Amino acid sequence: MANVTGVVPTPAKNAGDVRSRAARLIKPGGTRGGRRRSLTPYLFLVIPVGLLVLLTYVPVANMFFYSITDWDGLDKTKNVIGFDNYVSVFTEPDNLRVFVVSLYYFAGSFVQMALALYFATLLSFKVRFKNLWKGFLFFPYLINGVAIGLIFLNFVKPGGGLDSTLMALGLDSLVKQWTGDPDVINYTLAGVSVWRYMGLNFVMFLGAIQSVPRDIYEAADLDGATRWHQFRHIILPSIRPIVGLSFILAISGSLSVFEIPYIMTGGANGSETFVIRTVRMAFVNNKVGLASAMAVVLLIIVLLVTWLQRRLVPDEEVDIV
Amino acid sequence: MRSIRRRRAVLGTTALLSVTALLTACGGSDDDATSQDSASAGTPSGSITVLTWRTDLVKDGTFDKYVTAFKAKYPDVKDVKVEGITDYEGEVKTRMSTDDYGDVLAIVGSVKPQQFQQFFEPLGDTAEMSKTYRWLNDKSYEGKAYGIPVVGNVQGIVYNKKVFEQAGITEFPTTPDAFIADLQAIKDKVPGTDPLYTNYKDSWPVSAWEYYRGIPSADPDYVNEMTTWDAPWADGHDHEVIDGLLFDVASKKLIEADPTTTNWEQSKQLLGTGKIGTMLLGSWAIPQMQAAAVAAGNSADDIGYMPFPAQKDGKFHATAGGDYNLAINIHSDNKVTARAWIDWFNNDSGYSESQVGLSPLIDGAVPAALKDFTDQAELITPNPAPAGKESLFSDIDTASGIILTDAGYRKKIIDDARSGKRTKQQVFDDLNKAWAKGRAEAGS
Amino acid sequence: MNGVKKGVGGTLKYASLVLGAVLAMLPLVLIITGSFKTDQEFLSTGPFKAPASWTNFSNYATAFTEGGMLRAFGNTIIIFTVAIIGTIFIGAAAAYALDRFTFFGRKAVLGLFLLATLVPAVTTQVATFQIIKALGLYNTQGALILLFTGTDIVSIYIFVQFMRSIPRSLDEAAKMDGAGHVRIFLRIIVPNLKPAIATVVIIKGIAIYNEFYMPFLYLTDPEKRPISTTLFAFKGPYGSQWEVISAGIVITIIPILLLFLFLQKYIYNGFTSGATK
Repeated sequence: MANVTGVVPTPAKNAGDVRSRAARLIKPGGTRGGRRRSLTPYLFLVIPVGLLVLLTYVPVANMFFYSITDWDGLDKTKNVIGFDNYVSVFTEPDNLRVFVVSLYYFAGSFVQMALALYFATLLSFKVRFKNLWKGFLFFPYLINGVAIGLIFLNFVKPGGGLDSTLMALGLDSLVKQWTGDPDVINYTLAGVSVWRYMGLNFVMFLGAIQSVPRDIYEAADLDGATRWHQFRHIILPSIRPIVGLSFILAISGSLSVFEIPYIMTGGANGSETFVIRTVRMAFVNNKVGLASAMAVVLLIIVLLVTWLQRRLVPDEEVDIV
Repeated sequence: MRSIRRRRAVLGTTALLSVTALLTACGGSDDDATSQDSASAGTPSGSITVLTWRTDLVKDGTFDKYVTAFKAKYPDVKDVKVEGITDYEGEVKTRMSTDDYGDVLAIVGSVKPQQFQQFFEPLGDTAEMSKTYRWLNDKSYEGKAYGIPVVGNVQGIVYNKKVFEQAGITEFPTTPDAFIADLQAIKDKVPGTDPLYTNYKDSWPVSAWEYYRGIPSADPDYVNEMTTWDAPWADGHDHEVIDGLLFDVASKKLIEADPTTTNWEQSKQLLGTGKIGTMLLGSWAIPQMQAAAVAAGNSADDIGYMPFPAQKDGKFHATAGGDYNLAINIHSDNKVTARAWIDWFNNDSGYSESQVGLSPLIDGAVPAALKDFTDQAELITPNPAPAGKESLFSDIDTASGIILTDAGYRKKIIDDARSGKRTKQQVFDDLNKAWAKGRAEAGS
Repeated sequence: MNGVKKGVGGTLKYASLVLGAVLAMLPLVLIITGSFKTDQEFLSTGPFKAPASWTNFSNYATAFTEGGMLRAFGNTIIIFTVAIIGTIFIGAAAAYALDRFTFFGRKAVLGLFLLATLVPAVTTQVATFQIIKALGLYNTQGALILLFTGTDIVSIYIFVQFMRSIPRSLDEAAKMDGAGHVRIFLRIIVPNLKPAIATVVIIKGIAIYNEFYMPFLYLTDPEKRPISTTLFAFKGPYGSQWEVISAGIVITIIPILLLFLFLQKYIYNGFTSGATK
């Protein structure tokens, strides 16, 4: 059993994935290796831990500090101003709006998982050209995010591929300003996100389904179980943990959206996401303090979600530390 | 005052140049080297790195010629590395938080006056240098000049004369409402033409609307007075006029249909071929628009330049000011050569003439292409902030969170106007509230 | 009756697969066709119109030379090579210490690594930026190499996992022969980690190749930047030349497509190893 990331963009570092893998792995292996005290393990760990502290923990600590100052990122002085930055994260309408935007991506992740589940189920049965279909559906996930952003700018621009397709199908009435209409833009961008990440979900679901021994299906077939029954009673249980985790991780995933909307719209026309705003505040508006507060809020949400996930989906081997 | 600009910039321009030595340019220890003589004494020699926003001029070899000419004058100079940067504002701003931002660079808009001394070498006393150069005030702080403009611009509206003819517009509109009526006439009578093009997607053309402040009021002290108001988006102040115009043209659908898919390079061609009626851009844009018109098989004469549609005492006005200001990185280890480059660039390079701009030199001539415009519109040069209040304006701006020089807030005005989700009054109320808050926080 | 149902089901099944494949591939296909069009052709013909000439590679030439894609590939390879070597040694060293020894502070170290996996890198960059700056690494490839190497905890776990399958008897035997820890690490552990190294190289290779945020923040010099930010920069100067942008996109995708075609199995395994057990 393990976690899934990539529901919508991965909040970096494949957090979930690692965690449970870690959970499985990290039981001390050495029962004999370290009988005598020696410096050896420390020497081996100096660089890995040094980098870990330098590039992860020091920044996190600094971020907490910046978040209570009015620092602009350039000035030599940082004035401590208490929790003002946090207040404005949750009170200023423009800051609140980014939470609304993330809902589109959150909803998108449901569509994404439904599609992934559908195709994974389909391809877990006998299908011709199975590898070909699998490749087509998965490949978008491997494409560079910048390339994806540009591909879809070309695809959804007025008179582009999407409009042409709709018109060829006689669906002229559906043609819209896909990024120009403020009521449509976030659906468009969330749709691109689904296009990008569906393949990963799909392959993971498929892997989980296929980990069910073949003979169970054969036995079911012999018992005269319909495909629906097989889905309900064999497939669904086998992937429930992954689906559950995917849903939960979709929360932090949808707050961490950055690449696609940044590349396609730069956050304009009401498509600004939490991370785009954070970056803007830090590097354009000279409000490193506020940006840090936003980052801290995101970090806390991610930690909360992870904690929740642990509570709801207990990992049988969490006996790490 | 300064207009942001971006031209046909081509990637990979720097292939011609080597920037590898950039890393070594980090001094770091000379923060207190503030003696102004350090930049003017000695003979130029060695190597410097110049950051420029004119990637097009790097690409087409113009900068190579500049470098050759510069080296001919100063034979001891080994090399001048010119680094063209496409997203100049954003990238240099970020680079300035390190020591690595070239030897000579143009001051980016987001640096506050009180921060100049942290980043740039003082070039001299503003009062003294003003005998030679114009528009130094903008990049001066406490009597010291930190940058010299490369060229001067005036702010007006570039338009297609044929489109105006077809729409039956014979006189320059004198009020925003008259301008809107003209745009409506274009929309009605010249099908397929966008009356006004905002270039929304590229952001900087939208932020450039800021530089029309001071024109409706014809007030050289507009910016200074703005620091004393709680509501600049009311009472007919310039921001209400300018942003009101922006809101109205957007809500009346007189701008491009889908602003999120605009394109700067294409817009030049569209204006040149009459698919666009007008764009609010500084005079620097004229030669580029003319070139695009010619390239599309039309005439350079199709491109006209008119004043912002507002009059004071029966006269048009236009602000004039420096474009980007060249400055010296305070961490530079070759300030002498850097200074020599700046002086040479302004006096000998022929840059400002080539740009159809006003010369930064006091005794420079007005180029022929701008003569008509300057005959119609009276030029205003904004006054500097009073002593002790140099940073007040930008402090209020930052504290308010509006960031007048960033496209973000005007793009939001366009968004709101197009979607109809908020009225102009609501938009202005919010802006006034933010500004008042900024004033309160910045301790005015 | 059953047969009819199966027939309908089968048709539906393939219809939905075709639809899915078309939706997944269509935007891509249009970019490919667009990349062979000329300037005028791109503007005047519809997206579904095939290019006049399928051998018009001029856009590719432009993207490669003027657009600097060639140099970008070189930069990506440099960053990738150094970062991957660093990752392997750091990951293996950490895994070796954590798996083969019990020592004071072991649990604390494990806890540090675990907790770090929860911190999304995207949130901390505001502060990490200051560190990189203080190290004097801003606008150098060193910044990316350091970040790719020093924040990759996934790889460390892959190594720890695999380490446990390397029989301890190998270490013991070497120890009997008088080998020191460094020698055991280099001669026994690292060579035996090969399958794990292969997984890390593939997954991390794809991740580094596709990474946008880090080079976007830390490496702005056009001479030094990798493929993704180089492609991103196409937006400005080639903004009106979609045929050149299209060529740039195709150039970016080709290496990953080749990798995918040849290493499909490993790639699927790499990405799903967390999902299946």
